[in-house]
Amino acid sequence: MSGIEAFSPKGMLHEGWSAQAEDYAIACGWALQGKTFLVGDVAGGLYAFEGKSGKLIWQTRNTHKGGLLAMSIHPDGNAFATAGQDGHVYLWESHEGKSTNDLELGKGWVEHIKWSPDGKFLAVVFTKYVYIFDKKGKERWRSKAHPSTVSAIAWSNSNELATACYGQVTFFDVVSDKINQKLEWRGSLVSMVLSPNGDIVACGSQDNSVHFWRRSTDQDSEMTGYPGKPSHLAFDQTGTVLATGGSDRVTVWSFQGDGPEGTVPGELMLHTEPISCLAFSHSGMLLASGARDGSVFSWFLQKDGQGDPVGGAFAGDLVSQIAWHPDDTALAAINANGGVTVWDFKVRTKTVPQGFG
Amino acid sequence: MSNKQKVPVTILTGFLGSGKTTLLNRILSEEHGKKIAVIENEYGEVGIDQGLVINADEEVFEMSNGCICCTVRGDLIRVLGNLMKRRDKFDYVLVETTGLADPGPVAQTFFMDDEIREEFSLDGIVTLVDAAHIEQQLGRSDESSEQVAFADVLVLNKTDLVTDESLDNLESRLRDMNRMARFIRSKQADVSIDTVLNLSAFDLDQVLKRRPTFLEPEYPFEWTGVYSLEKGRYELSLEEGPDPTMSLVLLSNQGKDETALNTGAESCVRLYAEKEQPINPGDIVPVGKHVSLQLQSEGTKSFLIDVDKARDIGLFTQHTAEEFNLKITKVKASNADDQNVSTIPPIAERVWVAEHEHDDEVGSFAIERVGDVDPEKLNRWLSRLLSEKGVDIFRTKGFISYAGESRRIVFQGVHMLFTAQPDKEWGNEPRHNQLVFIGRNLDEAEMSREFDKCLV
Repeated sequence: MSGIEAFSPKGMLHEGWSAQAEDYAIACGWALQGKTFLVGDVAGGLYAFEGKSGKLIWQTRNTHKGGLLAMSIHPDGNAFATAGQDGHVYLWESHEGKSTNDLELGKGWVEHIKWSPDGKFLAVVFTKYVYIFDKKGKERWRSKAHPSTVSAIAWSNSNELATACYGQVTFFDVVSDKINQKLEWRGSLVSMVLSPNGDIVACGSQDNSVHFWRRSTDQDSEMTGYPGKPSHLAFDQTGTVLATGGSDRVTVWSFQGDGPEGTVPGELMLHTEPISCLAFSHSGMLLASGARDGSVFSWFLQKDGQGDPVGGAFAGDLVSQIAWHPDDTALAAINANGGVTVWDFKVRTKTVPQGFG
Repeated sequence: MSNKQKVPVTILTGFLGSGKTTLLNRILSEEHGKKIAVIENEYGEVGIDQGLVINADEEVFEMSNGCICCTVRGDLIRVLGNLMKRRDKFDYVLVETTGLADPGPVAQTFFMDDEIREEFSLDGIVTLVDAAHIEQQLGRSDESSEQVAFADVLVLNKTDLVTDESLDNLESRLRDMNRMARFIRSKQADVSIDTVLNLSAFDLDQVLKRRPTFLEPEYPFEWTGVYSLEKGRYELSLEEGPDPTMSLVLLSNQGKDETALNTGAESCVRLYAEKEQPINPGDIVPVGKHVSLQLQSEGTKSFLIDVDKARDIGLFTQHTAEEFNLKITKVKASNADDQNVSTIPPIAERVWVAEHEHDDEVGSFAIERVGDVDPEKLNRWLSRLLSEKGVDIFRTKGFISYAGESRRIVFQGVHMLFTAQPDKEWGNEPRHNQLVFIGRNLDEAEMSREFDKCLV
């Protein structure tokens, strides 16, 4: 790691606990209303830590032959799903880490899985296809072949799934089996997020740009000038600002008024290497960002996309994912070396926090 | 970051049936001590049982800007992006492309994508050629000539199915298309593993160490004959040939070993650069001069060579002796009644890198110059050249001497992308430049002229 030295937590981030996974930690999330923190590593190891203390509750090894690629925690927190290079999706319960189902998709990688907001469906990407399973593991729907491997998925509501692949974003009604909308653009879309109301679709592209569409008006725009691929994108809960990676600074576009077209984005500069993950808090305009240099910062953003750092910490190695605790009182980060760190997020002074809570 | 060991990647290309899977299996079984990941685009019938095999559809991603150098292989970015997370567990990655793959986007992926570039190094492109069928394939598809053009190693496979003569012809045709590649012949892809793996082919120093002659210049003459002659007058006779004139340089004291032939050739290059002096049949051929034999008249044309004492002379001719049935005979005294004029055979002969007149659009050439170049001029020219002709320039490789820079500048390019990096110190080595271009319909004369303008 260059350009940065280890430093102790600053601002609103405070020492919490840390733990170690056996390989590159690739996926994580809070389960059981924040009582448990789940981590998956690339070798297929799964870990459940006690949310407050970091005590290991259970651990499973070698779940996916070849490696684990993705994890999605059910909205109720009692169950989760994992996917891997073995072409399988496993369903698990969160308390003891018992496998409840094994879905075999075929010979190929399963790279993306996502529970619908109401928890009824699990969307699974298998090469050029998307499958929908219910909570019991029964297949409910299957897409036709996309023109290329599906690179990202997102639920716009409990019945509508968006898929991104080379050249297009498609909206499927998975219950009535129809295509609601298709947005085309000749480019390799590497990431996708939807605004919380589902109207704005933002995609990071291989050619170092962010492309977005407004579904209601069919208007689309392209934000260029990124030095790298914007693989990481995040909308705040109100859909006002979009935070994007693609360099060692976080670029924040504001959708206020006529924006972001023709506006200057906010730029958050403290990381010394490219951004590797972004996450907004569950309420308020708090953004957490992690980078390849191992640094983690939290920022308080304004509606115009400008922002100020409110906390910083060092996670030790490339930060592969960050996750806010369901009540935003803690921030968790996992890294490329298997490191797991959870910081308490609270004010350092006695002053009552304002504007977020 | 820079000192981190990058995982080497070898790309195997070649038409369906050229033997890629056989070679792949051979590598996996012989290199069983290493952990090798294989990305397979072609779902072959032959099972590959060792190593981690990842099947991925070839996905060529063009960008909205239409720029060909931004075209990458999405499948490789995706798969390698995930493999690198467990990089400690892999020593090597092999990518087997489909027969119809365009190697450009594959190679570009390793230059264009920051995350891939940081973790992996493209070690080399190995192209397998089905010796029995490549001629047809070259005529039919652009992909096969591009696979030949991009190769660092060309394996002429299935050699048992064709004659030695047609193999030689094939090799010389392919060599014209790609002067940079190393050629290997095999029957069933049974090549030695170290000729295809760990080549550091994209590391120019390695290339030069391994193949110091890959930039062998093309001489303006095709043939040299050395004759051991006594004192006296000789006749140089030529029959009808392909051209009405032919350039020639006569050197006295020409040795017949390889070193002497090369030394002679080098001095002749300088002589050939001077304006030729036309001489007619019956004239005496001067020593150490660039002459143009005038061969317009019909029948046998004879020129005279006077030898002052016994010595070995060298003839450096524009075309081969065979083409004009060139002969040297001793001129007898006019009063001799012996009518048997005997032809004197050469004591040594050498055919130089011949310019085969194939009609392949894909070809390669080298620019080699001594001296320094002006970095700004060169950059301006290369940027313009690659932006205008980048589509047709497949690969660029070489090193340059910048005025005022103590280190060599190494050039490396795929289509429009190129990198220029300082390399080792020049030290006492004379400053010189070598650039190889491989591409389609390249104008060698024009490009060489433009390069010369960049010289200080």
